[in-house]
Parts: sequence; C-alpha cells; structure tokens
Amino acid sequence: MELIVATLTNFLILSSMYILVALGFAFLFNMLRILNFAHGAIYMVGGYLGLAFIILLGFNPWIALLLTTVIIAAFGLFLEKFCFRPFVGDFNRIVMVCIAISVILQTAVNIIAGTKTLALPPFVEGVLRAGSFSVSYERMVTFAIGAALLGLITWFVYRTKWGQQMQAIAQDMEGASLQGINVHRISALACFIGCGLAAVAGCLMGAYLRLGPFMGDLMLIKALILVILAGVGSINGVLIAGLILGGLDAVLPVLVSGAASDAITVGIVVVLLLIRPQGFFGYEVEI
Amino acid sequence: MSDNQLSISIPPALRTGRSKWTKPATYTGLVVIIALLPLLVSSPYMLHIFILTLIYTIAAVSLRTIITSGQFPLAHAAFMGIGAFSSGMMAKWLGWSPWLTIPLGALVTMGIGMLIGYPFARLRALYYAMGSLFFGMGIIYILYAGGTWTGGYSGLTGIPPLLPIGTSKVPYYYLFLGLAIVSLLALYRFEFSRIGINLKAIAQSHLVASSVGINEGWYRILAVGVGCFFAGLAGAGYAHYSLVLSGSSFNFLATLWLVMYVLIGGKDSFAGPIIGTVILVLIPEFARDLKIYTPFISAGILLIVVFLIPQGLVSLPRLIRSAFTERGKGKGITHAS
Repeated sequence: MELIVATLTNFLILSSMYILVALGFAFLFNMLRILNFAHGAIYMVGGYLGLAFIILLGFNPWIALLLTTVIIAAFGLFLEKFCFRPFVGDFNRIVMVCIAISVILQTAVNIIAGTKTLALPPFVEGVLRAGSFSVSYERMVTFAIGAALLGLITWFVYRTKWGQQMQAIAQDMEGASLQGINVHRISALACFIGCGLAAVAGCLMGAYLRLGPFMGDLMLIKALILVILAGVGSINGVLIAGLILGGLDAVLPVLVSGAASDAITVGIVVVLLLIRPQGFFGYEVEI
Repeated sequence: MSDNQLSISIPPALRTGRSKWTKPATYTGLVVIIALLPLLVSSPYMLHIFILTLIYTIAAVSLRTIITSGQFPLAHAAFMGIGAFSSGMMAKWLGWSPWLTIPLGALVTMGIGMLIGYPFARLRALYYAMGSLFFGMGIIYILYAGGTWTGGYSGLTGIPPLLPIGTSKVPYYYLFLGLAIVSLLALYRFEFSRIGINLKAIAQSHLVASSVGINEGWYRILAVGVGCFFAGLAGAGYAHYSLVLSGSSFNFLATLWLVMYVLIGGKDSFAGPIIGTVILVLIPEFARDLKIYTPFISAGILLIVVFLIPQGLVSLPRLIRSAFTERGKGKGITHAS
C-alpha cells in the first residue's frame, strides 16, 4: 500500500513536470522547427535562481517562484530575438547556438554554486495522513501547480487568439504571415511561455528532488522523447506521451533496479519511434 | 578544400604558381611537422592531449562520412563506446591480445551499426537523428546496467595496455598517428569513390537517386557501417590507451561535442572535422590555466563560428579573400551548401 501510494505520487509529479518542460520545447519545435538543446539548461537555471532568491535574498518561496519565472521568461525573449530568429531553418547553426548557450549556463552555475547538489526548501510543510498511508503537502502542491499550469496552457493554446495564432504558424508559417499574423511576435511569446514553464518546473523539481548543474541534460532527453513521440503540432499528444513516460519512469524502477529500467524505457521509445516515425498524434514534417 | 572549388572553375593551364605537386607536398609537410611534435613537446600531458586529438579526429571524420549520406546520427560517441567496451571486455575477460581485439572491436561496432541501420533506414532527417540519439542513450544505460561485465557505474578497469606497462607516451603517439593517417586515407578514398558519390547523390535527393538505380537503403546502411567501423576503431584504441572506461564518457553530450567538431570545421569539406577537432580540443587545453572557466572558451568559439563563419572554419580563407575582392563584397560566401 505504501509503495503503491509512493509510486502513484511519483507518477503524477514526474508526468506533470515532464509535460511542463516539454511544452515549452514543443512550442518552439512546432512553430519554428527548432530543437532547443538549451532547454534543459534553462530549466536548471530556473531551479538555481529560485534557490538564490530564497536562500541568499531571503524571499518568500512563492514570491521567489514568481520572480524566477518572470526573469527566465524574459531571458527566453532575449534568446528568441538574438539566438533563434537569425537562424530559423538552419538546423546546424541552431544546434551550435543552443549547445553554446547550454555550456555557458552550465559553466556559470557550476562556478557560482559549485558541483555539490543543493535543494530548494519545501514550499509547504506538513504531511497529509489518511489511514495507513501518508502524502506530504509538498508533493500535492507540486502536482497541483503542474496540473493547473497544464490546464491553463491547454486553454491558452486552444481557446485564445494568441494560442490559435501559434497553431496557425505551426501548420504553415508563410500562410500564417499572409493572414496578418506577426510571426516574430508570436514566436517570442511562445519562447517567453516555454522558458517560464521550464523555470517553474526547475523550481518545483529542485524542491522535490535535488539541484545539480547537469540535471538539465536528463530533462532535455525526456522533453525530446515526449515531443518526438507526440509528433509535430499536437499539444494533447505531449500530455499523453508525458503520462506514458512518467508512468514508465515511476513504475519501472520499482520492478527493475538501476540503469536497466532506464534502458528498458529508452528501448520502448526507440521501438515506438520505429513503428511510427512521425509521432503518434501529429503530422510528419520535412526538416 | 577551397582548392577543389578552384579546380572546377579554372582550367589547370590558367592556374599560376601551383603545380600538381603543391597539394601533396603541403600535406606531406604537415604530416612531417605533426610527426616531429614529440621532439618539440616533451611534457607527457601535452602528448596525452595530442593523442586524444588524434583519436577524436578519427571519430569526427568518420561521423562526417555518415553525414555525407544525408543522415544526421546523434549516437556516434555511443558507437565509440561499443568499440571501446567490446575490445576492452574481450581483452580483459578472454585474455586476448589488444592487437587482435582492437580490429575485432571495430568489426563488432560495424556489425551493430549495420544491424541498427537496417530498421533505422526507414527514418529520415530529424526522425533519424532522434532515433539514433535514443539508441545511443540506450547503449549507455545497458553499459551502466552490465554489472561486473562492463563495470557498471564505476566503469571498466584493468584493461590490458596496448604496449607494455611503463612505455612512455611517445610510442603511443606514433601508433595513433599511424592509425589516424591510415583511417583518414581510407575515409578520403571512400568519400571520393563511386560509393561516396552515390552517397552524396542520396543526400541531395533520395528520390532522384533511387530513380537512377541507387539502392538507397543499402547505401545508407553501408555509410553507417563504414562510419561505425572507424568510430569503433578509435574507441577501441582509446580503451587500450586509457585503460579505464566509463559509460559517461560516451554519452549524449560526448556525441554532441563530436557533432560540434564537425560543424565547427565545416561539414561540406573533408578537412572540416580535422580542423574542428584540433581547434576545439587544443585551444581549451592551452587555456587550461583558467581551470573551471575553460568551457567558456569552447562556447565562445562556437558562437564566433555561428555568427561570423557560417560555413565553418574551412571557409575562413575564402571568406577573407572574398572580403577583399570586388565580386564578393557584401555577399560573403554564396556557394550552395
């Protein structure tokens, strides 16, 4: 019983965090066909920035979370303007820029914070006890924030004007700009939201697990898996793929020990990719 | 490789100051200078860096061989890892001589690469890149999960050395120099053979290539096989030189850096990955007094190349030349990539 509850909370939290990070990645991939290899580093910097606000400046955790989100999102605007916009359509140069940014961010964090693993203090104290099992409020809050943000983003993408413009650009960039959509502004908005979501996930995961300068690399892989399995142009696909991957990552370590569970997960992903290269929910694109 | 461009447009008779011996003489001179390096540099640490440069050069050039076929694999370091671990494990657990296991390790890598290439041949472009990336991750996790056979997380230790223990770095340097020269010559010959030309045709348009009778799937698998053979060779050599292997040195980041070596130098030219490797491995080493700050230098080189030299460092002389001529003013490089 204890194990089942722990696995279930793990599943929900991992899924929601994977989806939060992957959504920002998916926005850029869908609209501009950019594989943002720096997304993991941005997620990591979000966690460290939140830590700096809370520990060094002594802010309230919630204010720190908000400030971090806004600052990292603003950094996303900078990235879109100076690093992505000049190279849209040039896969090689985008990869090089993203690697350079990622290396710069990781090295900076490594110098400032050191390689020792740190953790954010929990946002909420206390444990919920019901009968024989217990769940800490921290985890419930993490999941609640994740789920709320996911709902908000889904509503934004499907129901608001800006979200629909994003979908239009994802389907056909030239057609969208012929209809009077400002492609640059909407891309900047997508990058703003994406980096903000990554920062939120970084802070929450920093409290749930640990912080390390290279924790972004693993998250980047998860985001890549989600986006590729979902396919281009599908937000719902990212949600479903996130639930599947979160489930695998929560359940497999219970059954198989250590790296073997990771190997099985990646193996399943490769097989799924071979069965349906264009993803399960989107459409195929030429890059 | 700018000379290739010239030789197409200008008839040999019009070229002044260049005989047909200029190019071979330049390359021979370069090789002689590189061969004399141990006389100039005595510090074992610098020799170690030179040896690593040679190993990564083989890997980067073999990666480019796959890229010329229009595929963008993101698992090349993992293939190096397959070569390194298979050779190291054969030498350690079966007690075979490293001189035998290194070619065997390369063959194992080639076999796995071609086996994997068969199902992967149906993936294209980005999907191929992502599929190979996940495959590379899987290899690393399998190495971690291998228990005592692969050493698990702590890595494989106690690999028999290629030369007797106590040998200085200088023989190793010449050994790897020879290996690098042979590999590069083989890969150069491969690229400009009929097969290599077919590969470039597939990269330009797989539909047109198939319509003139090029078996696309087979040639793509062949390109992966050749690339993996030399990646495995480099990895296996590395295993018996460093004597300690860890899965983490062949992970996704190592692959990305190999890709960076190719892209920095310029993927359109055979010399590109060589120049890229030398620049990205040696320059941060010369600045190693900065210790923890050295990654900034690599990142800086990347940003300079991305923003100023889009075709890679190989195109730098052409870029400078065109900046001084009226024709190229304000245009930079205009040839199609």
